[in-house]
Amino acid sequence: MALLSVRDLEVRFVTRRATVHAVNGVSFDLEPGETLGIVGESGCGKSVTSLAMLGILPKPAGRVTGGSVVFQDRDLLKLPDSELRKVRGRDIAMIFQDPMTSLNPVLTVGRQLTEALTAHLSMDKKEAVKQAGELLDRVGIPAAATRLNDYPHQFSGGMRQRVMIAMAISCRPKVLIADEPTTALDVTIQAQILDVLSTLVREEGMALILITHDLGVVAGVCRRTNVMYAGRFVETGSTDELYARPRHPYTLGLLKSVPRLDAARRERLEPIAGAPPSNMHEATGCPFAPRCVYATQESRERMPELRPIDRHDHLVACWNPVPDADLPEHEIVAAEWEPR
Amino acid sequence: MSIAEAEAQELQLEQPAGLWRDALDRFRHNPAAMAGLVVLILLILVALFAPLLARFGPNQQVGPLTTDPAGPGGEFWFGLDRQGKDLYSRLIYGTRLSLLVGLVSVAVGLSLGLVLGAVSGYLGGWIDNLIMRVMDVMLSIPGLLLAIGLITVLGRGLFQIMLAVGIVNVPIFARLLRSGILSQRESDYVTAARSLGAPGRRLLLVHILPNSLAPVIVQATLAMATAIIDVAGLSFLGLGPADPGLPEWGRILAENASRLESGSHLVFFPGFAIVISVLSINLIGDGLRESLDPKLRA
Repeated sequence: MALLSVRDLEVRFVTRRATVHAVNGVSFDLEPGETLGIVGESGCGKSVTSLAMLGILPKPAGRVTGGSVVFQDRDLLKLPDSELRKVRGRDIAMIFQDPMTSLNPVLTVGRQLTEALTAHLSMDKKEAVKQAGELLDRVGIPAAATRLNDYPHQFSGGMRQRVMIAMAISCRPKVLIADEPTTALDVTIQAQILDVLSTLVREEGMALILITHDLGVVAGVCRRTNVMYAGRFVETGSTDELYARPRHPYTLGLLKSVPRLDAARRERLEPIAGAPPSNMHEATGCPFAPRCVYATQESRERMPELRPIDRHDHLVACWNPVPDADLPEHEIVAAEWEPR
Repeated sequence: MSIAEAEAQELQLEQPAGLWRDALDRFRHNPAAMAGLVVLILLILVALFAPLLARFGPNQQVGPLTTDPAGPGGEFWFGLDRQGKDLYSRLIYGTRLSLLVGLVSVAVGLSLGLVLGAVSGYLGGWIDNLIMRVMDVMLSIPGLLLAIGLITVLGRGLFQIMLAVGIVNVPIFARLLRSGILSQRESDYVTAARSLGAPGRRLLLVHILPNSLAPVIVQATLAMATAIIDVAGLSFLGLGPADPGLPEWGRILAENASRLESGSHLVFFPGFAIVISVLSINLIGDGLRESLDPKLRA
């Protein structure tokens, strides 16, 4: 029994002028303690998927139009907001992309940290402050107890992201969703933050959903990876398998467009031609077909479903998967970051 | 003691420099704003200790009834008015009225405006539409005209006038707060707080409101200055408090403006009082605007 089970999630943004089909039938299961990556380019629906799961889509345009998000036998999408609020932060917590804007500038870090503790665990003030100090210490902030009275602008970007992580794990959630947690940080800080994240996830036995467009980050952290395109998962499998034998042309394209240090000088990066489709209309064929060199007549006319290829846990939504001959000889992306 | 320990101690000693503290620091280094503050504090002291500072009662007749009142000098520092009352004493007592008028009318405008703006910005939808259209209608009527209309309805007491001037300010505060809330509502830290399970009430009061208040505070100071002018202007137009004995600056100005040739001091001194009080408050408002500017935040 999966801890979190998302089925056919559909999200639309409805405005007077148009309807944006942001997420179109996303399904996945998350086991306790699992690390799951969701990769895809900007605007493919990664973040919207996670916001929809927690019921915090921007109102009034964003709405969930179908599917279910079952967490511990309860469909989160059917819960009244007062119930869902208890799940947020306590059972499922989230870390956001930009640490510079994700903390309230007028509250001390201590107050923001104790917020969830007093709300969800009904701790008293003193206890919460003590706990907050310990949390900051755990995410590696030096002189943690002395910094509780500081304001966010007194922290650097990396330190702020550590504070965000401390806030997210404060109630020991069972699922942690990290939405591009390192995108706004420089590379050395990235490695530190990922280090903190994966250590915590391992120690606490939390399940992690890591949302990113950085294939290197996923390679280091996640055991399983979903590749998302135009609001759908197009390929899913173990990270190793996916990187060694990408079957969806989009996955292959993504991997080929990442530079690597050990590549020969002459090897050129291959960008994916074209641009993602407009999601104003319901797609009929494979959404990647217009940019795909493997596209067939069928691709353009019928939507491919995820189905197993090679192995039972490697699924691909493609009518004409990348043939063996076109697979790269060696693994294309090396992990930018290795867990300690 | 190791270096780390020493550093930790230093960190502890260091005062947490909050945003408001930063703003205060910047305000303190703004000479114009500080000058305004000094003048305002003096005015407040004058208002508080009026009976000690005034040489006579505000309605005490100390000279003859005359069409050619005595000018400044001797016992009567600012001269006498046509009823033989000491102008200096009247102006001193008038300070109380003007500051009261500024405070009360801003309090009225601010409290109504904040509630309407917060409801409008946070709830949105048809409530927002309704409130904002009413505010638009109020804004489309010139402020002084609206105040005159309200006074006609409410009556000519001092409190009614403050209420009227306050109500004129409501749409300005409501709009300011609403726009602040709209820009903060979708901000990352609000989404983050929501993702941690903060309830709606808390989101509004703890996260959104404090971050939208800075422009409102600035506007409140400036509105105070305008309120003083408005009430003086209404009195000048003959719509001031019905009681003729009230030493309202605008009324004193109005009573004497038509006969400048005999007793120009009766126009100069009340006019000057209005100017310095309004100027000092405006300087403070401008200083606040600069020190609370989010672009200057570290």
